[in-house]
Amino acid sequence: MRLKRSAVALATASMLVLAACGGDGDGDDKKSSDNPSVDTENLGNTGSGTDPTREGPATIEGAKEGGTVTVLSSPGLTTPIDPSDLYYTDTNAILTSLVTRQLTQYAYDQESGQMILVPDLATDLGTPNDDFTEWKFTLRDGIKWETGAPVTADEVAFGIIRSMDGKTFPNGPGLYYSNPYFLGGEDYKGPYTAPDAEQQAVTVDGNTITVKMAKPFPDFPFYASFPAIGPIPTDPAVSDPAKYAQHPLSTGPYKIEQYTIGKTLTLVRNDQWDPNTDPARTAYPDKYVFKVGLQSEQIDQILLADSGEAKTTLAYDDVLAQNYRKANETGRLVTGGQPCTYFYALDQRKVPDKSIAEALTWALPYNDQIVATGLIPDVNAVATQNLMPPGVPGREPYDPVEGHGPFQTDPEKAKQILADAGNEGYEIKFLYSTDSDVSVAGKDVLVKGLEAAGFKATPVATTLADSVSDRDDVNGDINMRSYGWCSDWPSGATWVPPIFQSTDLEEVGFGTNESAFNNPEIDQKIEDVSALPVDEQPAAWNDLEKEIMTTYLPVVPRYYGGVVQMHGSAIEGVVIDNTLGMPSFRDIWVNAG
Amino acid sequence: MTLDRGEMIEQESVLGHDPSLEDQPEAAKEIAGKSPTQIALSRLRKDKVATLCIAVIVLLVLVAVLAPVITRIFGVYWNVSDPKAPNTTDVLAFDGYPKVGPPFNSFTWDHPLGVAPRLGYDNLAYLVYGLRTSLIVCVAATVISTIIGVVLGLMAGFSRGWVDRVISFITDLLLAFPFLLAMLALSPIITSRFSTDQDKLRIATITSLITILIIFGWMGLARLIRGQVLSLREREFILAAEVIGVPTRQILFKELLPNLIAPIVISISLGLPGFVAAEAGLSFLGLGISGYPSLGKMVSDAAPYYADYGLYLWLPVGAIALLTLSLNLLGDSVRDAFDPRTRR
Repeated sequence: MRLKRSAVALATASMLVLAACGGDGDGDDKKSSDNPSVDTENLGNTGSGTDPTREGPATIEGAKEGGTVTVLSSPGLTTPIDPSDLYYTDTNAILTSLVTRQLTQYAYDQESGQMILVPDLATDLGTPNDDFTEWKFTLRDGIKWETGAPVTADEVAFGIIRSMDGKTFPNGPGLYYSNPYFLGGEDYKGPYTAPDAEQQAVTVDGNTITVKMAKPFPDFPFYASFPAIGPIPTDPAVSDPAKYAQHPLSTGPYKIEQYTIGKTLTLVRNDQWDPNTDPARTAYPDKYVFKVGLQSEQIDQILLADSGEAKTTLAYDDVLAQNYRKANETGRLVTGGQPCTYFYALDQRKVPDKSIAEALTWALPYNDQIVATGLIPDVNAVATQNLMPPGVPGREPYDPVEGHGPFQTDPEKAKQILADAGNEGYEIKFLYSTDSDVSVAGKDVLVKGLEAAGFKATPVATTLADSVSDRDDVNGDINMRSYGWCSDWPSGATWVPPIFQSTDLEEVGFGTNESAFNNPEIDQKIEDVSALPVDEQPAAWNDLEKEIMTTYLPVVPRYYGGVVQMHGSAIEGVVIDNTLGMPSFRDIWVNAG
Repeated sequence: MTLDRGEMIEQESVLGHDPSLEDQPEAAKEIAGKSPTQIALSRLRKDKVATLCIAVIVLLVLVAVLAPVITRIFGVYWNVSDPKAPNTTDVLAFDGYPKVGPPFNSFTWDHPLGVAPRLGYDNLAYLVYGLRTSLIVCVAATVISTIIGVVLGLMAGFSRGWVDRVISFITDLLLAFPFLLAMLALSPIITSRFSTDQDKLRIATITSLITILIIFGWMGLARLIRGQVLSLREREFILAAEVIGVPTRQILFKELLPNLIAPIVISISLGLPGFVAAEAGLSFLGLGISGYPSLGKMVSDAAPYYADYGLYLWLPVGAIALLTLSLNLLGDSVRDAFDPRTRR
């Protein structure tokens, strides 16, 4: 799925995408002498484990209660926080960890460094029928709203139904999962847009909620960790979308005391939350204060100085490259993965043959571009091979281009490939934004790399405001598009179909298939893998990705996402939730003494 | 007032050529009239600050003109896309700081003023080419806006009636129009118009920057000239010229203009540093030129690195300060020199 931070961060992502990624050779020589040592094995891990039997209360040995945690960010908190309309990484991490509860949730596993799917409001991770077209969840007892009223199965059902209202919640994940997968979801417009229509997907029997699917949805327990798949008060006066978006009611350990969009969010304890019902949330601090809109440099300086309130402060923005050395020396830097891959998509309607992509794989100045765009090789731009990042079940590393190691640049080899195929001087046209310093820097480096490898580089100017629409214009006069893709949960099904399944270019545009890859044979294979038994799917997705990449190479992977965040000296337990690339707020506590 | 005296001196100098005085050479030399310009120039020559400023400006202009030679001698490049320029990671470490030269390594002749962190261009090359851009922009904008200001000021002041009203209205309109807003609106339009051709885009951005600076730069001078003309046109020599049927154009440029040299020169000398600062400011905001080095852009690149790499910021700041300061001081001296009320 899309990088779910905020509009500003999205723009950043598309800037980053213009830059290639860096790194070095293969294997042991991966870290050049001056590179910091980062565990790249676990960095990109995006979690695959599940633990359906975990029970509350969750505790951390030695952790103390109390204290106020301040959280800083430069962009962020500008996107909706209504649970049905919530689909950005920062708000998702904050709300699911602290405020709202849903059917399932993630817990951080100390041993593997991965996130594990555990139950939340439901007693387990759900019971599917044989072909995954029906899921049953049983609601726990003793769950209450912040008002003290009990949470009923009807309210959970209403929340799930509400997620199908794509017109009222255009930002939410419902459009991508609820409507396509739920029974009748394609026709049902939701409780606000079509108040008289009948939905067929969700039924309630006592404490049991049943969700019927139009097609097999084996990953539903992962989707059930989204705020959209949680309870919403059925009283229309309370859950009116316009009003509820300002103050979603809490079922978790904290409730919203004050919220100003794009500025601050203050969370205080919700005394109606019972830790015994919660398998993952710990809730040690008394209060959370989120402040956004600061300059990145300012945030770094506050955290580097580590005085006063800064001691109990953490940031979920990446530390700037120029402050990385200093931040690393403090020992208060946390690195982690993000399930994102950044790649160049070559327009398959225009590129003559696979040799272009092969030559490009050798030509890209990976490291140069990463440094020029302010990223740190192997820290927040991790070496790639596969399209699917590490941690996706079934993923096996392979080389899409034979002999090419991650982050390896060899212009001579690229030249040779172009010459052998008779494509010398092939013109690569790509977008950059003149008003973005980072984008221009990435462009300059890319032009040099391409020219050195015997391509003709033609950068096409755009502006930040137009960059996404220009990129997604199917008739645009460019043949290489930079794109980043992040999965919503670790599964090959969130990688291969969105990137490689053909779309109707006339009607819907690229969708997320930015290479305009259209191959009926592959489309059929995608259908076939989706229909396989669930335990065979992970390996099948990996095989299919390998087949597409080695046969057609429609995209050239550049780097995997990573995060590198700093926190104050009194904050303990900061780990990265690598399903989101955000701090795991469930495990944080303040060490006052 | 100023011009009254100048006029009188000019009359005197005409008298100075009276043949009746020619057989008294000594006395003639004593009272030999000098034009106001000559007086001003001789005053300037005696002004030490002005001399120093002129020397600095000449030096900076020479550096800018010889930018290609300087970069060739040192083998440095401002453009990282240049095939001969080193790869970014050849000169930069993983976190974007230079591997060679300041701030963490010793001096190297390969990059005498260091390398820009993250971007990897050579500071010396960028600085001299940035200076070049600054000078091109400020000279072009000053010259053209002065011509426009003078012509419109003369026309408005002399014409009376609707021409004056129209020109004055446009002047006031442009003075009131938010200049930054125009630049904000224009820059994406230019980008989309010339998006496919990088060379055209570069030229388009620099010409549009100069055009914008001109459009918003002539009004002050036009107003000043108009005011001067309003007082001059009632004077006898102009009335006389009109009476004997001298064509209007000749009155404007032959009779009026010579009396306006002082305010024009002063306006030029104060306009130059203003345009240098404006170009730097716009480029700092990302609204200036793209594809050419610019001192303002260098300042904005360097700002985040100030704590560890002060030199990087001081280079463009120093260059802008030196250029604007010497132009400003020279401007002050020029004003003093042309102002007959100042006594030295």
